[in-house]
Amino acid sequence: MIEAVGLTKRYGSKTAVDGISFVVKPGMVTGFLGPNGAGKSTTMRLIVGLDRATSGSVTVNGSRYAELKAPLREVGVLLDAKAVHTGRTAENHLLALAATHGIRRKRVDEVIALTGLESVARRRVGGFSLGMGQRLGIAAALLGDPSILILDEPVNGLDPEGVIWVRELTRHLAGEGRTIFLSSHLMTEMAQTADHIIVLGRGKVIADAPVATIEAMATGTAVHVRTPDAERFAAVLTKAGGTVTHPEPESLEVTGLAAPQIGELAARERVVLHELSPVGGSLEDAYLALTQDEVEYHAGGTASA
Amino acid sequence: MTGTLSFGGVLRSEWIKLRSLRSTLWCYLIIVLLTVGLGLLIAGSLPDPASGAKAATHDVQQSTWVTVATLGIAFAQLVSAVLGALVITGEYGTGMIRSTFAAVPKRLPAIVAKALVFGVTSFIVALVGLVITALVSAPLLPAKGITPDFGDGKVWLALVGGAGYIALIGLIIRSSAGGIAAALGLVLVIPLILQILSRVTRADWPANVAAFLPSNAGGKLYEYQGAVAESLAPSRPGAAASAAASAANTITLDSWQALLVLLGWVVAAMVIGAILVKRRDA
Repeated sequence: MIEAVGLTKRYGSKTAVDGISFVVKPGMVTGFLGPNGAGKSTTMRLIVGLDRATSGSVTVNGSRYAELKAPLREVGVLLDAKAVHTGRTAENHLLALAATHGIRRKRVDEVIALTGLESVARRRVGGFSLGMGQRLGIAAALLGDPSILILDEPVNGLDPEGVIWVRELTRHLAGEGRTIFLSSHLMTEMAQTADHIIVLGRGKVIADAPVATIEAMATGTAVHVRTPDAERFAAVLTKAGGTVTHPEPESLEVTGLAAPQIGELAARERVVLHELSPVGGSLEDAYLALTQDEVEYHAGGTASA
Repeated sequence: MTGTLSFGGVLRSEWIKLRSLRSTLWCYLIIVLLTVGLGLLIAGSLPDPASGAKAATHDVQQSTWVTVATLGIAFAQLVSAVLGALVITGEYGTGMIRSTFAAVPKRLPAIVAKALVFGVTSFIVALVGLVITALVSAPLLPAKGITPDFGDGKVWLALVGGAGYIALIGLIIRSSAGGIAAALGLVLVIPLILQILSRVTRADWPANVAAFLPSNAGGKLYEYQGAVAESLAPSRPGAAASAAASAANTITLDSWQALLVLLGWVVAAMVIGAILVKRRDA
């Protein structure tokens, strides 16, 4: 269980996290979603006390992280793959972290095997690929067999096999009743892994709901219609209760009517359709719709849905 | 897999960290090689006693032996300072510090453990280097009119003092998180500036200030404590200032005062470092 109340972090005049409150519950995977720069990583660093909150508070299992008697055994954290000295071997890195909590060598070997690092464990981390670094970070997070797992962009740099592995691992750990909190800026990944999603934009929580609810928010999005008889058909659709925009000749964006209804109207009115396609209805669109106004840095130019 | 966060565990962790880096092994190896190599070089290059000359007193002979054994400290302290800097910048520069503080969220135990492990290890390595130097240079000395007296406790005390100085210098640099350049300046540059000022102005104050600098206070730690007016060996850096000081009406620290001054520097550097570490975002 992770609980944040009015959590705020300012760096100078810039507010990275703006008074957010949320609860991450055990027994499920909670996705932390938002565009880059939304404040996801800062929030995660605040949870484990690496950054000091400007105001507000956050607790893990009811205590502040720094007050825990055995932090690594309660919370495993992957903040970024680069939190490792490049001159040290993977094995020594894990042994050094394990030593702080009296975690035995046997467990170090276990997490090395679990993350598939056996062949590179005695190599210095400086030569690791992004994917291997990520696996080492996950191994470090799992060292204490923690009841809470916080993973910041865990699939970043992993190959497709690794992505599936992380998905299955986190689902399995959640199934054991653990609290899993993982961030991503990729909606599709979240849709396949998370049970519950917290969407963050510009340091604020803009949605906090089960995956199904977030998906439902996307229904009623537009249907794209192309027809040579656009003017007349637009009038028909409006009369039938749809909201129609007419972005270009022969092209209509319709909301408020589902694609099958639009097809039936076209058949009845004998309008020729060149295209009839629902736009959205996916989690990806819900996400884009939610964060559209919250993206701090818009891509210059052709960022279209 | 049982166990909670404990200071003993953090100490073990810091020991694993220190010994698992190549830079540590290289720096310690260089400290030992420099100390032994320079000692042998100086022992071999001492002037032969003039025939018929009166033998030097016991204390002068012993003092010369100590000077031979500790001459390498002038260089070993630089390596110790570099290692001290690497120990801390290596953690911040690579991001390792975030893993460290996630495991030890109160931070201070990690900082103290790091200082203890680094200080004790450096002390032991430096002491081994100095004792080896004293032992291997001893057979070269009788030809120069010096008969090393192995039973003289004051010789070994000076070597312990030298090892302590090397460890403490590294600690001062290590602890001054963010101020490494400033700390190196304090240890290496300011003594030179004060020496020049003292020559130019002919005032007492530069020598008085210099007496409290880590390098000069440290020099007192590895001086042979005996009735010594002169040494047969060339003087080491810093000794000129203290010789000038003793001649003029200026402050001269005894070895205990010097140790306290040096420890004061270490504590000041550690306290400032600890406050910053505790406050800063990692």
